[in-house]
Amino acid sequence: MVDNSANSTTDFSAPALVEGFAHVVAIENTMVWLEPEQTTSCGGCSASSACGSKGMGSTANRLEARRFRIENPANLVVGERVVVGIRENALINASLTAYAIPIATLLISGILAQWAFGSDLATMAAMVAGLIFGLALSRANASRLSLRGDLAPHFIRRARAGETCNIE
Amino acid sequence: MKEYVLLIVSAALVNNVILARFLGLCSFMGVTTRIDTAIGMGMATTFVITVSSMADWAVGAYLLEPYNLWYLRTVTFILVIAAAVQFTEMTVKKVSPPLFQMLGIYLPLITTNCAVLGVAILLVEGRMSFIDATLFGFASSIGYSLVMVMFAGLRERLALADIPRLFAGPPIGFIVASLLALAFMGFSGMTS
Repeated sequence: MVDNSANSTTDFSAPALVEGFAHVVAIENTMVWLEPEQTTSCGGCSASSACGSKGMGSTANRLEARRFRIENPANLVVGERVVVGIRENALINASLTAYAIPIATLLISGILAQWAFGSDLATMAAMVAGLIFGLALSRANASRLSLRGDLAPHFIRRARAGETCNIE
Repeated sequence: MKEYVLLIVSAALVNNVILARFLGLCSFMGVTTRIDTAIGMGMATTFVITVSSMADWAVGAYLLEPYNLWYLRTVTFILVIAAAVQFTEMTVKKVSPPLFQMLGIYLPLITTNCAVLGVAILLVEGRMSFIDATLFGFASSIGYSLVMVMFAGLRERLALADIPRLFAGPPIGFIVASLLALAFMGFSGMTS
């Protein structure tokens, strides 16, 4: 019999970090470039040659595109494996900034234009203008989040030899 | 305004893309292991479906209909969706590289998501006005996101539950999805 009493009292409201593994691939002055480890099997299965998702590029290309830069707090060297973390709500904040703001301005401007002019062409022009305005707002908000460090992963520690994520 | 509210309720709940029309099931099962990834995927899909709904309506009204090219609609809409995804990717990359680092992984998944094409075909078959088509696309994707987040929450709870070994993992996921679909059937008949 498995005792789940501990799970039922877990505090899910506490702010937490989502942790992941990355490799140091380059050093640039006081910064290090990290490449996240492949965490998905997509592109790695036996059907990858026939898969409709192969437009996503090879695994190496995808990982290279996802390289990121952080401060070098522990004199890391190229090839080291480290544990990095990002705040759990960072993805939600990023999604709201990138997508919700432009969509909100697009829809509001479209509905107002439809109400004022009643024409498809006017509504279309207003929606495009609303989208551009929303993207400008997104950019401003993303800069603010970036300055606060909310979008960047943080170095936690060096990974132990053979350490893997705790997926059961 | 009442007409818009009914359109939104109908597209988001009564004719939900996932649980009533059974579109986008691959991402429904694949990206719902965590709530935050489900929100990320839902938001990205909402943006792409809304933008591609606008573009699909314009292409349908000003190109396919005047030249009687409706038989090309599927291939045309696939092209429009791919362009919308590419536009979104380029825009997010330009607007904020850190955002692209976090969210870019979801965008290629949307290109192969049948919910996006399904919504485009439904809105041109519905012969809607531009604003109705855009709201229909937006509401459909809100319904998609809502179900994704609900299901991700349920799966996070299931991961902690004591489930018989035979049902652990995807089997219990499918059972929960079917119960969720039954629950959404309760909305049927509210609007057309």
